[in-house]
Amino acid sequence: MKYFHIICTLLFGVAVTLFFGKAYPHHLHYQEQFQLFLFDSSYVWDVVKLPGGVADLLGRFCTQFFLYAWTGAIIIGVLLSLMQILMLRLANWGRLYGLSFLPSCLLWLFLLDENALLGGVWAVLLTLLVSWLYEKLPEGKIRRILLVAIVPVLYWMVGPLCIVFPLLQIRRSELPWNVVTLVLLIVMPIILAHFVPVPASKLWTGIHYHRYPTAIPTLLWGSALSIFALTCIVRSLQRWANASSKHVMPIVLYVLVVACMGTVVWKNCNFKAEKTMRYDFMSCHQQWNRIIETITAEKPNNQIGVTVQNLALAMRGELLTHMFDYNQNGLLGLLPDVERDAISPMPTAEALYQLGMVYAAQRTVFEAQEAILDFQKSARCYKRLAQTNLIIGKYEVARKYLMALQKTFYYCDWANETLQLLGDEEAIARHPEYGRLRKMAYQTDFYFSDHVTPQMLEDLYNSNTENRLAYEYMMAAFALTGDRDSFIKYAPKNR
Amino acid sequence: MKRYTLFLLPLVAVALMWLSSCASHPTVPSSCKDTQCQPAIFPDYCDVTVPCNIAPLNFMLPTDEYQACVARFSMPDGQQQTYGDGVKVQIPESEWHAMLDASKGKSIKVEVWGQKGDEWLSFTPFEIHIAEEPIDEYLSYRLIEPSYVAWNYMEIVQRNLTSFEESQIFNNEITSVDREVGQCINCHSYQNYKTDNMLFHVRLSNSGTVIVNDGKVSKINLKRDVTAFGGAYPAWHPTAKLIAFSSNKTRQAFHTSNANKIEVYDEISDLILYDVEADSVSVICDDPELLEVYPAWSPDGKYLYYCKTIPLPEELRDKDIRSTYSYLQYNLYRRSFNLATRAFGEEELVYDAASVNKSATLPRVSPDGRNLLFAEGQYGCFHSRHRDADIVCMPLDKGCVVTQEESLPDTIQGRERPQLFDLSLLNSKDESDSYPTWSSNGRWIMCASRRLDGTYSRVYLSYFKNGKAEKAFLLPQEDPEVNTYLLKSYNRPEFMVEPVRISAREFSKVFEK
Repeated sequence: MKYFHIICTLLFGVAVTLFFGKAYPHHLHYQEQFQLFLFDSSYVWDVVKLPGGVADLLGRFCTQFFLYAWTGAIIIGVLLSLMQILMLRLANWGRLYGLSFLPSCLLWLFLLDENALLGGVWAVLLTLLVSWLYEKLPEGKIRRILLVAIVPVLYWMVGPLCIVFPLLQIRRSELPWNVVTLVLLIVMPIILAHFVPVPASKLWTGIHYHRYPTAIPTLLWGSALSIFALTCIVRSLQRWANASSKHVMPIVLYVLVVACMGTVVWKNCNFKAEKTMRYDFMSCHQQWNRIIETITAEKPNNQIGVTVQNLALAMRGELLTHMFDYNQNGLLGLLPDVERDAISPMPTAEALYQLGMVYAAQRTVFEAQEAILDFQKSARCYKRLAQTNLIIGKYEVARKYLMALQKTFYYCDWANETLQLLGDEEAIARHPEYGRLRKMAYQTDFYFSDHVTPQMLEDLYNSNTENRLAYEYMMAAFALTGDRDSFIKYAPKNR
Repeated sequence: MKRYTLFLLPLVAVALMWLSSCASHPTVPSSCKDTQCQPAIFPDYCDVTVPCNIAPLNFMLPTDEYQACVARFSMPDGQQQTYGDGVKVQIPESEWHAMLDASKGKSIKVEVWGQKGDEWLSFTPFEIHIAEEPIDEYLSYRLIEPSYVAWNYMEIVQRNLTSFEESQIFNNEITSVDREVGQCINCHSYQNYKTDNMLFHVRLSNSGTVIVNDGKVSKINLKRDVTAFGGAYPAWHPTAKLIAFSSNKTRQAFHTSNANKIEVYDEISDLILYDVEADSVSVICDDPELLEVYPAWSPDGKYLYYCKTIPLPEELRDKDIRSTYSYLQYNLYRRSFNLATRAFGEEELVYDAASVNKSATLPRVSPDGRNLLFAEGQYGCFHSRHRDADIVCMPLDKGCVVTQEESLPDTIQGRERPQLFDLSLLNSKDESDSYPTWSSNGRWIMCASRRLDGTYSRVYLSYFKNGKAEKAFLLPQEDPEVNTYLLKSYNRPEFMVEPVRISAREFSKVFEK
């Protein structure tokens, strides 16, 4: 039993990693596509200058690795395990050892929400780390002065979740100092509200803990405050908790906590959202065969799923023959209207892009990016905006997006390669994707409002009758709208 | 000692950072190859005329062609100074302003050398002419992505034109209560270039018009019984606490293969007058068939200029906007205004753009009342999205109706037809130039132009004297590369003679009431 604690932590970390890597990978992809981490000093400054900025920056830094779900899963596994290890250092848990996993489990639960930001996890972790380091300081005046000095610094680094730090330091012997720190923590948001141009309420609840700015992430706060509550419980039950009982009680409690929390986590998983995200992921990576396999196993019944299903069928040349084998949603199942949210326009944009409706695709991607609720940018959107600008010959605009992508970790090589194409008409014409899409583009302008109409598809097809995808979409549109005359007009025997 | 080292290290680091931020004065290359051409510097400041108080004109050579750049500035009194750090030339503000003071009314000669591989190239020197007239010290603009329908973070920002100091006036985050609905902030406007009386709109989430009246902030709702919609494009009366607004129902539509990408058009557009003191709204004109927009007062407040559509051809009147959008053309009109009675006179045609198949928008009368600036494109009212849009300037001295058509008689409605001024050095060749403005001394024209890449608008300034605009130059930035990588548009640039002193937090308080 020498390595009992290590084994338990390891098991927990592996469980978290396996969960996110195997059961929840597309939630991680979803997170990655709603941010653009730049290795750039002005970007870093823009993030860290706000309260909670350091935690936010670390969260964003880690989230960029979510492009590969297993890397993201390992990162989350390590962070939650680290947190449990730090919890262990804060008190003598003894029989109550299992409870040291509770805050990590609550964070796990928090991360099930696709809009929960990793900055929140880092905020709790950094607070715990500072608390642990502070515990190591020798008693004395310097320690007390540091207690007061650390609070504003920590507030700036992690935001209001830092309240856990002064709470953990409450001692009967240091009551005046504790009062000073807590007063300081209350006064800080009030003063900062005059200088920091964010909603005043965010200075109390945290700016970048959750993508929905008005949401208060109760699970995150619950996790943070559970650190204080559990430490109090353990300290008050010190004698009982550390009475000799070998390892039976700690193991039982560990199993109980992990089993209970594991069940709660599983029950709270949003596998419906995970499926939808999977469709979006597959269309983003143009995995047409995988989409066909997926829809064959289970017919999609939501807007994104149907859009992706139809795109994959069309890409394989099977839309006209197999579209009615699956659920349809009229024209909106082919090319839905652009809604003001960040995710639903993306599969539509992919379909528009593949069809050769490059201007419309560009607009749709732009709208999606602008709808990101916490005002971040998206590497995925930047990439597509660079591509669409390249195709329509707006090289200087494409260069802007590519210059930004050059400062990223994963998109840098692609950006460098694509920069070489700018202005090189021959290379673009030869390019399998950009060259094809240039040929498929509209020959005459068509002015439209928010809805893609069969007439637009007809116009696109007539611009280039080699555009097989446009033909499939046009005919599908005629079939779905019951336009029999047009369908017959373009039916294969009449073409 | 070890303990002190820990404290000393940050101090040393700060000192090093400070030293590294100091300008380097490199030596001029001893041997070089003469290229016989002017340098392709960015921004292009070759032979421009600039105000005697403008911020340093920092520039750079293209990073993909050159490894280094050295520039030697020679003042009229013979003094010289060299600058250059990598491919960028960044001049300390104090040294630059000393150069401007020494060269007022004269020119600074600039010699540039660029290192390409192992070889130094020398270029034909150019001059920067220093006008005797200063420019207004402040400028405000909205920084926003060139969006379609949705938008992300946006802010109204003020910039000191004599330095690089930039600060936020307001943003769309601080008072937004529903991020999914979003909040749009727009149309910042000042009375007579001063900020004690100013306004801006906040749309959608937690909406209202924020008005500063003698420094006191309030939020009002301009939607009244007499108006179909709230106020949109504003114009402060130069002396009275009155604001003319257009009241619009605005829509957008998109192109599938037109570089203009988007059309912004009005379905309804009227003009209203808001009395700040009485908090009352009255209608100026609301022709049910035609669209009136973009009010602008003459500097004496005796005339209100605005744009108005011409009637559509009969056969198009009931057609969808897709058929009619390119036929919507605006002329410039004005009405006299009696401040005592608050009465407007009859409508007078000022500029007949439609007669030459054009559409004129965004009029601005010069501070001396003698000239009229406006933006002109082939159709529509939203020229910031029209690649053919240019800035036009016409004289008003003779109170003329102007058409550009050569075949028209020299007198129209009994008045002489004068020539338009030559703004070819201000306008770009084939990208949108829009939103023209005069500086308070009438010597500087400012506009927003998408000329760099066709998408992101930037602020351009041009010297105007004796009916001639000099070569436009890009708003200087501390790092000249900012204009290349900044993914924001400069929207609605407005001159101010003083900064807005009310903080974003103070503005936000009126939303809490």
